[in-house]
Amino acid sequence: MPAPGEKRGARVSLGRVRGVAGLILLCVTIQSASAHAADAATSAGVATTIPAARGEPLTRDRSVAAAVAIVPGVALHGSGHYALGHKQTATALLVTEGVGLTLTLAGLGTLLASGNSRHLAGPALAATVFGAGLIFASFGADLYGTLATDGGAVDLSPRAPASFESEFGYRYVADPHFSYDGFVVESITLRRAGFRLTPSAWFANNASNVRYRVEGAYRVLGLQPGELGKRDDHIDLVLAGLHQRYLPEHFQRSGVELMLDTRFDFSHFGDTLRGAFVDMGVGYAVAKVAYDIAGQRVPADTDDLLLARVGLGVMLRGRAAPGSEARVYYDHRHDDYAAGFLTPGRISGVFGKFGADLRWFFTPRLGVLVDAQVGSAFVGGLSLLMREGSLRPQGVPP
Amino acid sequence: MSRRSNGFAWLSLFVALGCTRPAEERTRRDLEVGHQQSSALDVDVGSGLAALRALSRDELALWLSAPSADVSLVVRETLSLDLRVENAMAALELVDLDSGRVLPLASGAGATKKAWRLALTPGYWHFRLAAPGVAEKGRFRFALMSDVQEAIDRIQDVYQMIDAQPDLDFLLGAGDLTEEGEVDELERFQHELATLDVPYYTTLGNHELAERPPAYQDWFGRANFQFVHRGVYFTLLDSASATIDPLVGDWLDDWLANGKKSVHVVAMHIPPLDPVGTRNAAFASRAEAATLLAKLAEAGVDLTLYGHIHSYYSFQNAGIPAFISGGGGANPERADDIGRHFMVFDVDATRGVLSHEVVRVDHGDEIDEDE
Repeated sequence: MPAPGEKRGARVSLGRVRGVAGLILLCVTIQSASAHAADAATSAGVATTIPAARGEPLTRDRSVAAAVAIVPGVALHGSGHYALGHKQTATALLVTEGVGLTLTLAGLGTLLASGNSRHLAGPALAATVFGAGLIFASFGADLYGTLATDGGAVDLSPRAPASFESEFGYRYVADPHFSYDGFVVESITLRRAGFRLTPSAWFANNASNVRYRVEGAYRVLGLQPGELGKRDDHIDLVLAGLHQRYLPEHFQRSGVELMLDTRFDFSHFGDTLRGAFVDMGVGYAVAKVAYDIAGQRVPADTDDLLLARVGLGVMLRGRAAPGSEARVYYDHRHDDYAAGFLTPGRISGVFGKFGADLRWFFTPRLGVLVDAQVGSAFVGGLSLLMREGSLRPQGVPP
Repeated sequence: MSRRSNGFAWLSLFVALGCTRPAEERTRRDLEVGHQQSSALDVDVGSGLAALRALSRDELALWLSAPSADVSLVVRETLSLDLRVENAMAALELVDLDSGRVLPLASGAGATKKAWRLALTPGYWHFRLAAPGVAEKGRFRFALMSDVQEAIDRIQDVYQMIDAQPDLDFLLGAGDLTEEGEVDELERFQHELATLDVPYYTTLGNHELAERPPAYQDWFGRANFQFVHRGVYFTLLDSASATIDPLVGDWLDDWLANGKKSVHVVAMHIPPLDPVGTRNAAFASRAEAATLLAKLAEAGVDLTLYGHIHSYYSFQNAGIPAFISGGGGANPERADDIGRHFMVFDVDATRGVLSHEVVRVDHGDEIDEDE
């Protein structure tokens, strides 16, 4: 039964259809029976999914299965599930790895064969990022599903986004090239129907640096505030504006960006993966870098960049309130505080940053965000989160 | 393992994977270049503008990184020293600064490899290695060639075309001489250079970083340095790790101040900004890139030269003319109709950069010329 004020019926079906479309977009070549089975279950609006078909398990010991998920699972993703008898889930994970490997090899091969051509480098890098992300995600999901024992608890997590969220926190930035270190971070998110607006700001505690960002998004596919759903598949079209001021360094950076942001819920592959998801985003940003040098008129530079993001996350259970989740991710952008990853070896510059974040809600409305990034700088910090609207756990009658 | 210690281990791993100063170690090694002691004598090459290849009681071997360099010796016993200098301008002379005397060559007249025999008594000795007139402001031409890497087998036809260029004072490099930076590759690169009529002054590229610490500095000298030639300042920076080490940032302030009232050319391997931003064959941080470019613009730098991208690009960064020339033969960017190439610049200390041209090696023509 939907809670008062919550919409169901046709909207629920639409949400399911959107989930399927998200699946198709992200894993277009995956045609495993488990995915179809899960889709059939969700489109019927049933509260529980049909378990992926099980074969005779090789082991019933999860620790043995977890070991198998690592060896030979590091090469053959899904091995852990195969050992536990979840053969269709295992197949789906293996196919995901194959898709990732194909994308990665295609991307790297294109870069190599084209000599890093100006015409092909962007798409080839995006393919490489997504390919590597899928490889990592399918491995991580296999391990997660092999070890996870309380899949049912995740059924209670609300998947619909809150209509209002706010963040207030602190970030420490360790960058040897800049004098700033501490930032106060603020953001507000407002959602109405499929639209989202998120203005945010970072203020350096010594007033030397500031970053303003306004992000507007339209949910093309996926749940909206107030909607019921079992999964959080979504596709958002994001348009953002950004302005950064580096006062001591005498420049400002202002730009716009367009991004497609998606989430694929791994429970499409089977019940054991309920609560695991992969985030992927791709886009393009262009910015003007204006130099502010006393007594000189310095022409501005136009600077563009590829936006590509991929992350593997899990929804948290136990003491964490619904909506809590943890994620590790790779973000290809080079224009923020963490910027791109540096190595002492031959390859530097092309990588973006690696990060991890944890959203932990103590109550349905109050939580914290812990965030850490490693790029050419270390960024880490803590924010207080507040949210309002559509917080009722699903699967529980009002 | 407890949850707390487990979390700490993950955090440690996360931080350990990152590296905010990957160039720090070799930047500090820059400070050691050109300075060495032995039981018989101490050697100090001013500003580290030469790599010490050999030092013993009877031999001192230098690889010059610049057209001129001052060499100070502290001699503790009477010596008969063979001074061998490689990568020298054809007209290079050795001047005893204390007496003002030009010392006679033992061998190498007109070549990039020269030798002198010095009779040294205990005490302090000050010499200058320089071609006549290089301290005077004037007009000259230099070439730019980078990114040879695996194409070392085909480098001789590039050198032949460079040698055919009239009135070149030297060849400037923006890194990636080798594929891995291993000793045998550096040795091979030096061996191939023997046919070049002009010296090759260069910094390193990311392909010199496969070994830690890189052998590059033992062979070809500092990664970050500045020299002056006919009144024009040349600053070469180590951006091989897609960043400039903060220690270099401090040196750079002084170097930029030195060249502020003259023509100033700045070269490095990885460009701060890639003209094709989605590719990002550039600094890892756009903010660091803009910070560096703002500094260069404020100091009135006249020309920025880069390698790393195996093609030719002409653009501006922070209003400063910029060229990417990675035409030494390494895996070329396809579909750009450029191929192997080098650039030639005509500069004058009082009038600026007068012209540039791109010479294509495999096509034998010029694709860009600007007066």
